Amino acid sequence: MMFIEYTWLVPLIPAICFLIVGFFGNMFDKRHGGGFLAIAGVAVSCVLSVLISAEFFMSSAYVDVGYVAKSFTWFAFPGGFDINIGYYVDTLSCLMMMFASFISMLILIYSLGYMSEEGKRKQRYFAEVALFVTGMLGLAVSNNFLMMFIFWEVMGLCSYLLIGFWSFSHPEGDDASDNAASAAKKAFLVTRLGDVSLMAGLFILLFAFKSLDYTVVFDAASIAAVDHNLIVLASLLIFGGAIGKSAQFPLLDWLPDAMAGPTTVSALIHAATMVKAGVYLVARCFPIFTEASGVMLFVAVIGGFTAFFAATMAMNNMNIKKVLAYSTLSQLGYMFLALGAGGYMIAIGMESGNTALIAAGSVGYVAGCLHMVNHAFFKALLFLGSGSVIHSTGTEDMREMGGLESKMKVTSITMLIGSLSIAGFPFFAGFWSKDLILEQVLHAGDYGAAGWVFIVLWLLAVVTAFMTAFYMFRMWYMTFRGPMHKKSEHSHGESPRSMTIPLMVLSVFAFGFGFVLFFGFDSLLSIQIIGGQFRMGGMESGGAHYLVEFFTNVWTYVTIALVLLAIYLAKNMYELGKIDPARFNGDGESWLYKALTERWWFPQLYDQLSWKLGYGVARGVEFIDSNIIDGSVNGLSNAVAGSGELVSKAQTGDVNNYASAVIGGLIVLFVAVVALFVFMGGL
Amino acid sequence: MIPVEYFLALAAILFAIGAYGVMTKVNTILVLMSIELMLNAANINFVVFSGFLGDAMGQVFVLMVISVAAAEVAVGIAILLNAYKIKKTTEVTALTSMRW
Repeated sequence: MMFIEYTWLVPLIPAICFLIVGFFGNMFDKRHGGGFLAIAGVAVSCVLSVLISAEFFMSSAYVDVGYVAKSFTWFAFPGGFDINIGYYVDTLSCLMMMFASFISMLILIYSLGYMSEEGKRKQRYFAEVALFVTGMLGLAVSNNFLMMFIFWEVMGLCSYLLIGFWSFSHPEGDDASDNAASAAKKAFLVTRLGDVSLMAGLFILLFAFKSLDYTVVFDAASIAAVDHNLIVLASLLIFGGAIGKSAQFPLLDWLPDAMAGPTTVSALIHAATMVKAGVYLVARCFPIFTEASGVMLFVAVIGGFTAFFAATMAMNNMNIKKVLAYSTLSQLGYMFLALGAGGYMIAIGMESGNTALIAAGSVGYVAGCLHMVNHAFFKALLFLGSGSVIHSTGTEDMREMGGLESKMKVTSITMLIGSLSIAGFPFFAGFWSKDLILEQVLHAGDYGAAGWVFIVLWLLAVVTAFMTAFYMFRMWYMTFRGPMHKKSEHSHGESPRSMTIPLMVLSVFAFGFGFVLFFGFDSLLSIQIIGGQFRMGGMESGGAHYLVEFFTNVWTYVTIALVLLAIYLAKNMYELGKIDPARFNGDGESWLYKALTERWWFPQLYDQLSWKLGYGVARGVEFIDSNIIDGSVNGLSNAVAGSGELVSKAQTGDVNNYASAVIGGLIVLFVAVVALFVFMGGL
Repeated sequence: MIPVEYFLALAAILFAIGAYGVMTKVNTILVLMSIELMLNAANINFVVFSGFLGDAMGQVFVLMVISVAAAEVAVGIAILLNAYKIKKTTEVTALTSMRW
């Protein structure tokens, strides 16, 4: 236990960097606003994460229980509630720590070049990114839900700050900065809806378990002691938090708007942090989510539908970043679909005592996690690549690009690798995880009463795979091939080293990370249920067995064929111009095309809802405030003032009147005293 | 020996005349004089009871009241003089500025 003891340093180092860079960044590093310190801090965290993980995998704790946890009492309150603070290291947190810190580090290095024209504001940028990384790493190592929730909110704050980074002065003028400000607000408010749901779920957990520690909540004995319905309710509410954070249907609309921030921030949000937190949360909460197969079915349905729904909107978008944003939504949907399918099989396996089914579900879990990491690599690569293109051409509109391949060799090749990977081209990273997901979803269709839902979801997922390949290559061909446009003729050419080197590093991973599946990745992330108790890792690795499974399955070839067909279509449409896209959309007049450009009227729906609902509520509240509350206060003061005014008329100022009043009073008093005496029998 | 009731009746009548004057007179001098009447009605009561009860304390009080009344009239007339300087009148109905 050399390094695991220092797990708390992993989030703490970027936090310290945040403080130093935030307050003094421009003082010690005028040129980069403290960027180097932020990079160094995240790099230390990254190295530490790798060391911790290596030590953990070789420790006896991994073999025995599957985790190392340490906690101290933070505070306690009456009723036996203890809130702890500490760290929890298991395979999942190791995985999160490593890829989050590694990718964040590359993004920070890239930022040196990308943000070079920002001047003094770089200090703010690097500080906020460091805090963002703190949030993600803290989330990964937290040992209880409250701590996790705090870091979760730190990320929410940072996403708000960074999406709105240009809200004061956007390089493209005032409209763009207003847009950034409203996008930041939207991101904050929409994720807030999910956060409220998550918080409600955590309150239920606290009520049911009297503790928020993972070790307690995920313990088989304590789960058995708690009302089943409470756990189901808590699971659904917690998943609501994941829906908000990972921008799943119906809270998905903030993510495309979040493209108003700098591209590096998009990369950070989409690849390394933020949206991955939702996936992490679901993966983390498997022991309680699998209590009911219905919860897992719900996760899968939301994921599968979002995957399809978001992919449709990427099909005709002209903004290079928004295409990537929709693809993120879609890929996140895949992850939830995989987790849902896996969890569904585990839940059914636990009900029926079918251990083989639990093992199959564990593969779904592995597929979801593998896709999460793969996605992190290729999406970071794609976003950074698009940032490089935007940096060079000064536009985000793909119609103004084209033919950039000759000018930007490195960017075009690395982005091609990223596109192939996300499209699921054979042997690239995305291929392995996506095929594993598809296979698992189809497999889940064989079990339980709701199995047919998974068949539908599988169909949607296959169609989504086709659409993914199409829109990614549409993007690639529109940007790098085809006729050259004005903006690309005037582009600055290839970006500086600090930007291309992260691209190259990421492309290596985007190509090769999928192979970890054959080298024990599935064993590390497997789920075993021993005597009802969940534990991570330790199952026998499938190894090369997966290869056999993939290539003896006819559906694999169908997906590959669909992907190739999509790429071929995109090439003909956007590079060679043989097929006019206008043929399919009635020159941009068909209702479907309009629905897609209008994002299925989702922003309008949000606006309508918030206008009608929010404005109605606001009006009601205003009425009560101004009429009832203000009315009663004003009425009271008016009554006092009015009656005072009235009574003051008695003060005539005339001495005679006063004297009369005094004597009159005296007489009354006298008569009263006498009468009293007589009455009491006096005199 | 004149019965004590006669004195008391005299004092009551004096007091009533004084009170009537205070309530009805418009001229401030007359009001002050009426107050003086009421004070003296009280003084008669003091003296009468002092004689009736054989206790000198009542007469001591009368001296006290006379000196206080003198001081009060001095202050009252000083105020009245100043009021007259400003308002050019001594009628109480005109001196009503200390109201709402």
